[in-house]
Amino acid sequence: MNDCEEYKERLADWHMGRLEAAAAEDMERHLNNCADCRETLAATAFVLDSINNLQDPEPSVQVKADFRMMLDNFKAKEKKSVFRDRICSRLLQPRLPLAYGLLILFGIGGAYLLGRSSKQELEGQELHAGVQEQKQTMLLAMLDNPLASERIKAVSYTNDLRKVTDKVIDALFTTLNNDPNVNVRLSALEALSALGNHPAVRTGLIKSIPTQDSPVIQLAIADVMLNLQEKDSVGSFRELLKQKGLDDEVKKKVKETITKLI
Amino acid sequence: MPVFSTVKQKTNKSCLGILSDNALMLQVKAGDLERMSLLFERHHKTLFGFLFHLTQRREASEDMVQTVFYRMLKYRNSFTVGSNFSGWMYHIARNVLKDENFGLYSRYDPISAHEEQLAGGNLADDDLEKKQSRQQLYAAMAILSEGDREILMLNRVRELNYPEISDIMGISQGAARVRVSRAIEELKKIFIKKGIKRDS
Repeated sequence: MNDCEEYKERLADWHMGRLEAAAAEDMERHLNNCADCRETLAATAFVLDSINNLQDPEPSVQVKADFRMMLDNFKAKEKKSVFRDRICSRLLQPRLPLAYGLLILFGIGGAYLLGRSSKQELEGQELHAGVQEQKQTMLLAMLDNPLASERIKAVSYTNDLRKVTDKVIDALFTTLNNDPNVNVRLSALEALSALGNHPAVRTGLIKSIPTQDSPVIQLAIADVMLNLQEKDSVGSFRELLKQKGLDDEVKKKVKETITKLI
Repeated sequence: MPVFSTVKQKTNKSCLGILSDNALMLQVKAGDLERMSLLFERHHKTLFGFLFHLTQRREASEDMVQTVFYRMLKYRNSFTVGSNFSGWMYHIARNVLKDENFGLYSRYDPISAHEEQLAGGNLADDDLEKKQSRQQLYAAMAILSEGDREILMLNRVRELNYPEISDIMGISQGAARVRVSRAIEELKKIFIKKGIKRDS
């Protein structure tokens, strides 16, 4: 006769139908002969049933609508970036000399038109500069807002700025490295990655790698560095790997990133 | 003497003609983003239930459902051929809980909040008995450690077995089994202490 303890340990598995056929039969044979285990089973089954029969509340209908909107937005954004990538790759791979020719023609035409309208443009630009400055001030002020949603909005304003000043970049980095909300940090990272051409942004991002402790950000920053093909980030990633309690998925991704960058 | 026999059989979800979750997610990864809406249909309620039972917050749980699906879209490339969709989704859900500071469940405050949340009549049963046993369970769960609470809630999701649970928690299958059974034992003790019985 086997030890009852062993059977008792597997009662929950048996009750949930998780035992192999042979083990289940063995268990049933034992239960038929052991009143003590039957009693334990009754208590275990009661606990399990009350958990498993717990009804899941219905989410509100809003959840479905929100999901639809999120998915559509995501698709639209993705389409845009795919389109952009395609254009970029076309331009970088000179397979179509004709397209280049057209581009030059349009360029000349455009320059001509631009020259003609430059006077009106100048006034417009001055007005525009005022708006830009206003936007920047608003952005900087909103980054201190206690509401996370407002801070995300502030970060997204960088997309509207024509010229991003060092002040804004500094503020974005402060957000990326210090904001308590991970979604805000993530949007700051997104905004900064769009400014990848800026050398200060690149070095700032590299410096920020080992300080991040959220797996989401760590994964995202690895993607950004891959996109930018930033070889200088390898050292920072190695440092990140030393971080205690680093998520396994992140570890894998970081190692992959390093091998891809080298 | 009662006679015990195996009546339960594991249901195999991937019937002919219906694409499995994993196959759908691989299509999403390949660029067919619309496929995610099918996965949403299949899983958002269970996911919401999981988040709600652990946080007792309706609105926060609804927001977190969105965040989980958003992250699955965004990080779809981390889903690989060998991955299990449900395991992957709950892994992400667990991270979202942590990021939203529910990791410590410091805001776990069952009965009052629970009553309030359900006041909208979102649970179909107004059966007094069911309501009472639900409240008893929530009160008992509040005494459990957060880890026990979490593993019991993962354990009740039908799509998850020990291999997935062990992946989600980052522990071995043996350890997952032991932790589930320990959590059940803990809850049993609380039930006894509180005098919760089957016929009560």
